[in-house]
Amino acid sequence: MIKGAIAIFKRDFKKFLGNPFVIIFTLLMPIMYLVIFGNAMGGSISHVSLAVVQEEPYVTGTPMFDVVVADLKHMAQRDSPPTFDIIVYTDELKAKRALQNGAVSGVLIFPSPHFSDRPMRLYVDSSDSVTPSVIISGVNAAIVQSGFRSQVEIYKIYGDIKYLQFFGVGVIVMAIFMTTMMGGGIALIKDREMGIIEGYFVTPVKRSSIIMGMIASGTVRAFLSGFVIFVVDLLITGIVLQTTENFFMVLLVLFITSIGITSFMVSMASRFSNQQEYASMSAFFNLILFMTSGAFYPVIGMPDWLRWITIINPEYYAVHALRSIILRGQGLDVIGLDLIALSIFSVAAMILGIATYRRTLE
Amino acid sequence: MRLSNPAERSGLEADAMRHPKNKRDPSSDDSIIRIEHLSKIFQDKKRTVIAVDDVTFDVKRGEIFGLLGPNGAGKSTLIRILTTLLRPSSGTAFVGPYEITKDPEQIRRIIGVCPQNSTLDTELTAYDNLEFYGKLEDVDDRILPDRIWELLQMVGLTDRAYMKVQTFSGGMKRKLEIVRAFIHRPLILFLDEPTIGLDPESRREVWQQIETLNAENTTIILTTHYMDEAEKLCGRIAFVNQGRLISLDTMDNLRLLLPEGDLIEIGFDQMDERVMSEIRAFDLVISAEVKDQRLFISARRGSTVLPAILAVFERYSVPLITIAIRSPSLEDVFIHLTGKNLSDGLPGGDADHKGKGRGYGR
Repeated sequence: MIKGAIAIFKRDFKKFLGNPFVIIFTLLMPIMYLVIFGNAMGGSISHVSLAVVQEEPYVTGTPMFDVVVADLKHMAQRDSPPTFDIIVYTDELKAKRALQNGAVSGVLIFPSPHFSDRPMRLYVDSSDSVTPSVIISGVNAAIVQSGFRSQVEIYKIYGDIKYLQFFGVGVIVMAIFMTTMMGGGIALIKDREMGIIEGYFVTPVKRSSIIMGMIASGTVRAFLSGFVIFVVDLLITGIVLQTTENFFMVLLVLFITSIGITSFMVSMASRFSNQQEYASMSAFFNLILFMTSGAFYPVIGMPDWLRWITIINPEYYAVHALRSIILRGQGLDVIGLDLIALSIFSVAAMILGIATYRRTLE
Repeated sequence: MRLSNPAERSGLEADAMRHPKNKRDPSSDDSIIRIEHLSKIFQDKKRTVIAVDDVTFDVKRGEIFGLLGPNGAGKSTLIRILTTLLRPSSGTAFVGPYEITKDPEQIRRIIGVCPQNSTLDTELTAYDNLEFYGKLEDVDDRILPDRIWELLQMVGLTDRAYMKVQTFSGGMKRKLEIVRAFIHRPLILFLDEPTIGLDPESRREVWQQIETLNAENTTIILTTHYMDEAEKLCGRIAFVNQGRLISLDTMDNLRLLLPEGDLIEIGFDQMDERVMSEIRAFDLVISAEVKDQRLFISARRGSTVLPAILAVFERYSVPLITIAIRSPSLEDVFIHLTGKNLSDGLPGGDADHKGKGRGYGR
């Protein structure tokens, strides 16, 4: 019995050592958890864009406005960049529109000096689970510090949104990436491993056909699972979509996201010839993409260096677009940029996949 | 061994003399594949293997061409180069009018290939496997279903059409793979060890198929290390050993190299010289030699003379260990040319061989 166990052990261990790629990734994974997850979650919130408006007739510059705004500007947690990025608006309506479009996370309106007994009004984007409280406490602290006494009325423009609802949208994207991780390009690698490719490489089939076919099949699967989780998410979190238009827009976003992530995974698969290597690599990438997508925690909670990843992260745009539609009821004007970014990413991934696919046995 | 060079030269020169134009004229009607100084070198960190070493020959339109040699001789590598799966290290080859590195796509349109290792998708049914290839080979959709049934009929798999290939026996899979290779009625058919692992009856069926296809003007290139297969099917035969072409001739010419009569092989422990001289004295015995505890007798009408030979052994009380009698075959030509058996270096004879290591020489 011992002899057999040792033989099995040796065989397995030899395989393990013969695969340095997997060893590296198994070590890289927890390190990445530490660095990315640790920083992406619970990092101190910074660079919250906050609009400030002075009510008419003064365009700017009541004493209270100056002092409070200056306080807000300099507010920062230790060793962190400033908490707020202050944007001065002269027009209350414009500021509110910016809030609705998601360009700013909050709008602070200072009362006219002629009616100093009127309260300050603070509008916050409550679709985000973390930033509203940061804004509210920041504003309160600034007022206390300024020495002016004023009431603050708080308006949560999307009502109270629970973390469950916030996170639920991220889970829809998670469904898409899970499907691509399990399916994705694995069939390509399996074919290579089993030698099945030798059979179809001698047919006139083009490598673009091979890649596009794989992407198409993966996209359909990813889209279906994204759709199922979307429906489940609505049932569990009790969110009601406002219009049918929004429903179809969600489908559109799900579809383009599925194409993007599947293309990325397939293009990775086109270079690998070992299932294990591919699996560890795809888990690695998926984790980075999901962690930095803002699904768990708002992107503004991440340190600056990590935020750069979000710029090329398709899942960030997907989460943003889905949240815009599902939680805020926003339309194409807001998610247009997300769709463009996702499309660019998809096309780039497809081209990469086709260009790097080896259509010989070498 | 030494005889190999003259044989090679005579074959090639004769060929070149008969078709002096072939050498440089791609539109020549007579040759459909031209291989010119083709070499393939595999390199990795540990070693360099010359799998194909400066091979030059032509395959004529409409013939069944046999490529013979022991395992690791470079047959499969040569086939893979001709079927655009590998790029040659040096030299060139034309398949039809197309050069292998410049027009691989055109070549893929006119060839059909049955690789040595199974490339069937075992998760699909027999029908689906054929349909998949039919589509990749661009068979007209209107005739494809009929063609598939025709092929399934040919190999007696109609009742298993909708069963997954993983439930098939080795022989069934092999037959399915062979018919798949000519689903699109290719101009040139490459069969890499087509009958490996088949029972005698199935082999005869496959041979029948090959002959039928050839009668329909398909040029067939066949690799094998079964001599009877080559003798039965091939018009011309090239012997390959350690990446080199050692002989190329018609079957009829090669037969002239065969020893006369039958071969009788007798194993013994202790030989008595008197036995030898008595045996040599028989009229029907052409030659008798002792080598490695074995007596090799070449005799006309071997079965007639065998009892007399045995009687000699008995008379001198020389115990026999083994007796074998057979007609000389191509194998003997091969031994004559190379000094070794076709199955040399094969652990356990020609049973089976899997894995990618094949084609890397020994």
